[in-house]
Amino acid sequence: MGENGAGKSTLIKCLSGSVQHDGGTVEVDALCLPKGNIAAAEAAGIVALHQESTAFPHLGAIDNIFIGRELRRAPGLLDRPRMRREAQLLMERLGERIDVDRPLEDLSLAQRQMVGIARALSRRSRLLILDEPTASLSARETQTLFRILRQLQAEGVALLYISHRLEEVYALADRVTVLRDGRLVGTHAIADLGRDALVRMMVGRELLDQEESERGTADGEIMLEVRGLSRQGEFADITFSVRAGEIVGLAGLVGAGRTEVAAAIFGIERAEEGTVHVQGKPLSQGAVRASIASGVALVPEDRQHEGLILPLSVADNLLLSVINSLTRFGFRSRRKERASVEKSMRALSVKAAGPGVAVNTLSGGNQQKVSLGKWLATEPRILLLDEPTRGVDVGAKAEVYRLIRSLASEGMATLLISSDLPEVLALSDRILVMREGRLAGELSRSEATEEKILAFALPDGGDSRMETGRSAIPHDGNAAI
Amino acid sequence: MTTPIIDAEAVTVTKSRSGWAHRLTLPTRQECVLLGLLIGTLLLAGRLSPDFLTSRSQLELSTHVWELALLAIPMTLIILTAGIDLSVGSTMALCAVVFGIAVHAGLPPLVAALLSLLVGGGAGALNGIFVAKLRVHPLIVTLATLAAYRGIAEGISLGRPFSGFSDSFTFLGQGSILGFPVPGIVFLIVLAVAAVMIGGTPLGLSLSAIGFNETAARYSGLAVARIKLLLYTSSGLAAGMAALLFVARRNTAKADIGTGMELDVITAVVLGGTSIFGGRGRLFGTVLGVLLIHEVREFVSWQWNRDELNLVVVGTLLILSVLADSLLSPKKR
Amino acid sequence: MNDSATEATSSAGGTPNRAVSTVLHRLASQREYAVLALLIGTLGVVGAFNPSFLSGGNLRDMLVQDAPIVIAACGLTFVVLLGEIDISIGSSMGLLATALGLLCSPSHSALPVWIAVALTLLLGTSIGFLNGLMVTFGRMPSIIVTLGMLTVLSGVNLLLMNGKWITDLPQGLRYLGVGTLLHVPICLWAAAAAVICAVLLARETPLGRRIYAAGSNPDAARMAGLSVWKLKLFAFTLTGFLTAVATIVSVPRLSVIESGVGQGFELLVVTCVVVGGASISGGRGSVIGSALAALLLGLVRPMLIFLRLGVSATYWERAIEGAFILLAVLADHLARRTRKEPHR
Repeated sequence: MGENGAGKSTLIKCLSGSVQHDGGTVEVDALCLPKGNIAAAEAAGIVALHQESTAFPHLGAIDNIFIGRELRRAPGLLDRPRMRREAQLLMERLGERIDVDRPLEDLSLAQRQMVGIARALSRRSRLLILDEPTASLSARETQTLFRILRQLQAEGVALLYISHRLEEVYALADRVTVLRDGRLVGTHAIADLGRDALVRMMVGRELLDQEESERGTADGEIMLEVRGLSRQGEFADITFSVRAGEIVGLAGLVGAGRTEVAAAIFGIERAEEGTVHVQGKPLSQGAVRASIASGVALVPEDRQHEGLILPLSVADNLLLSVINSLTRFGFRSRRKERASVEKSMRALSVKAAGPGVAVNTLSGGNQQKVSLGKWLATEPRILLLDEPTRGVDVGAKAEVYRLIRSLASEGMATLLISSDLPEVLALSDRILVMREGRLAGELSRSEATEEKILAFALPDGGDSRMETGRSAIPHDGNAAI
Repeated sequence: MTTPIIDAEAVTVTKSRSGWAHRLTLPTRQECVLLGLLIGTLLLAGRLSPDFLTSRSQLELSTHVWELALLAIPMTLIILTAGIDLSVGSTMALCAVVFGIAVHAGLPPLVAALLSLLVGGGAGALNGIFVAKLRVHPLIVTLATLAAYRGIAEGISLGRPFSGFSDSFTFLGQGSILGFPVPGIVFLIVLAVAAVMIGGTPLGLSLSAIGFNETAARYSGLAVARIKLLLYTSSGLAAGMAALLFVARRNTAKADIGTGMELDVITAVVLGGTSIFGGRGRLFGTVLGVLLIHEVREFVSWQWNRDELNLVVVGTLLILSVLADSLLSPKKR
Repeated sequence: MNDSATEATSSAGGTPNRAVSTVLHRLASQREYAVLALLIGTLGVVGAFNPSFLSGGNLRDMLVQDAPIVIAACGLTFVVLLGEIDISIGSSMGLLATALGLLCSPSHSALPVWIAVALTLLLGTSIGFLNGLMVTFGRMPSIIVTLGMLTVLSGVNLLLMNGKWITDLPQGLRYLGVGTLLHVPICLWAAAAAVICAVLLARETPLGRRIYAAGSNPDAARMAGLSVWKLKLFAFTLTGFLTAVATIVSVPRLSVIESGVGQGFELLVVTCVVVGGASISGGRGSVIGSALAALLLGLVRPMLIFLRLGVSATYWERAIEGAFILLAVLADHLARRTRKEPHR
């Protein structure tokens, strides 16, 4: 276990040989595995399901499951019928009925995830590594997966299960190892470790500062009003508003449509139905420039691909969103540009050798600050934040929280999308929860708890409680950290 | 997390990475290599054949390069955005044929020339609409229009050549002002405009941003579609100008002119250090690339009188220079 | 079976429009069917106008013209599937034709025909291998590598030819171009063999599936333990080999070999692969689609002749070819819009 950015995913990539580690050894049965050698790891019986998409979107489930170790009937020829049979069998075991020839790009997120799991299960493994396999699964699907994992466990397969959901760890694990900031914090038998102790190990201190600010919450002017926003296959009938000085959290599972809603408001994609009003004025659809001009800014989820342009310098990145306004007679004004860059860097205390260094030399936290600064430079009044602390270290996280709070106290209307429930709870005045593309519920700051959010967010409705296999889960504070 | 590596140079560059200063920085590694190769070629040429290096023969030989140089300017900008335009040679043919037909239909050369530029701009804009609005891969779009535009040129001219244009028009291709060839002046004006646009306006940074990461550029509110449309349209316009220069120089317009031109242009641009993946590239490098190709070619023809030999030389040059760059850079992309 | 599974997923998807978009998507993603329909439609319309268009002799002549394109397209499809491209095919063909002619013409090397053919195959394969090496080990973009090779190879070809023609091709070689086996021209046998082998390779072998996988998601392919570079090297080498085959069965049909052989051939082949449904960014495409597209594009010129539009009509051939690609691209765009897939 460990927080976002603790180094869990990178560690398992080293174990499975897809990334080469700098030092240390991986031993299987007292034999040392060669570094960065996927084949050797597989031969030793290590099978990993990685978190990011390792699927082949153009290919069907059969190929996705068997690629790399295809079944053959003669040298160089595939045994298609047998592969099809086995693929169907595997998917049925996982409780999914899909067309195994259908390209994965046409399947739902959960179905794709199940194909990935089927692929991992299909290998003869002695050590099965699963990295957050349930991120986009419903409770029912998760239970099916857990049943199978317990079967494997009984058959003598070692499992390395990575998750940031406490309940899953308590339901499955015998021992738990916690990482923080790339270092080992400790390994304990799960039976000896209480929830609070485990959370402390992950966070490294008591839970996040719950500093309550005495802000006027519900009386500001309505800055952003979204009515009936819909886009086929992504989200439907989204209606809400955000007032000046208010922080509205938008929670939900991965794939619930939160990012898509933010993108539609900002104009990256066009919504098919519905309207967006900024301070009572309609916002034209599908026009990022118009959105920026009306004072809307979106700090996107994926800063490496959407937020920043990594090979460009810090200064260029900070200028990108405002470059057309920092001109004199259409020509770039060095004076205005320098002033803008200096202001942004100071306001966010970006730690960089200078504005001329390329962004990809900065740490994750500083990159995120540049990403924030880039959009704050447009002087927005409505800030859409999509996972603002993903992959950011604890220190920078606290700084980002302070910044969000201080902006709100100056009147910024903020929509905060986050999968980090403690973060949503700590920052939001009001929490909206999305499930399968629709708004499933709204909670005020005082009534919101992680249980209530999850109850709205999980696809199988109110019953968010997972059946526990062997160990009982206490019914309080099942955190997803 | 670790603090960024502190680079002594970087600390002092506080003011250097934006605006004019950025564009006027020192030559890149690739540009130094090119400059070396260029000087080497000229020195070798001067030794083997002193006549080649005289200003008179250089000016005479320069007539062959202006169309290539002109087309290389918009191509650099397009490749900078990770795009490509394979249709420039065909667009040239189309514009030339349109001009020829218009003049033979009795239109005054000036009107015919404007019409031809209009057709060029329109052809480029069509590419731009497919690339920018429909977001089709530019390689596919311009591969299609590579065939289509030349096809239209062949269709409307029925393969006939047009010739016998007035002296006032052929002056555009053959004349000179104060000893400097007119096509060269046209090229320098276009180059100056492009350089000011890139160095002095937000366009330069926008192009790099689009080339490195189009998604992030869109999130930043850059008018990606509009910029691309502008680029492809200007590429078509440049092809129209190149067609007029060519027709004026040769005093003939036929549907087969500019065949293979797109490959020469792309070779010059890539040789000049512009990354085919977008983001990196400068007009200065492109000018060096064009110059190098031109000098190598002309010298090989001058010395050995074998045009085919310089195909081998130029192709090898292209592969080796890109190979050297990719082997010298630490990681893929 | 398929239908019930589709139903199951469409009901799981929840939205009623899903089934409709599924059908649209199937039609659009299976470009083979669209191309086949267009092919049959064109044959029917032109045949109705002028029945001699559908005569056995004319159909055979058209197929003979298409054969080299089909053969080369079989190789290039795999290169494009991997997200790469090879535009050196045309000048490679020119050089191979020259080599073949020089090797067996009595007034030059005068080697036995089978040795000349074997050497030509070897040369073609080596050119493909060299392309592959530069792309994989040289870490260069394939469009640059093959653009450079295009220039170099055509230069070498011109140097070898030295402005002359090769006219004295031995009878044995001419047979490869004009001869028949069981009343079917040799080149058609070669094309059929190439298509069958390529289809088997793509669908029924681990190698083929791995090429699809590596083109679809190279990072995931590496994580699955595939050597993407080996696959690329293979695809480029195969393309080189098939270009040589295409040269051997088509060039001897000409009574002279000159330096213009193969000019523009690469664009025809790339066009076929793209019209046949391959995505230039890799992962999508099929051998059958490429081959059918070659037949479709091969119809353009005979169609213009048989419609008796006059001599001038044939000048529009290239314009119509270009329009075909743009139409294919537009169809693709519309299909993608109905699927709500992110742009690429």
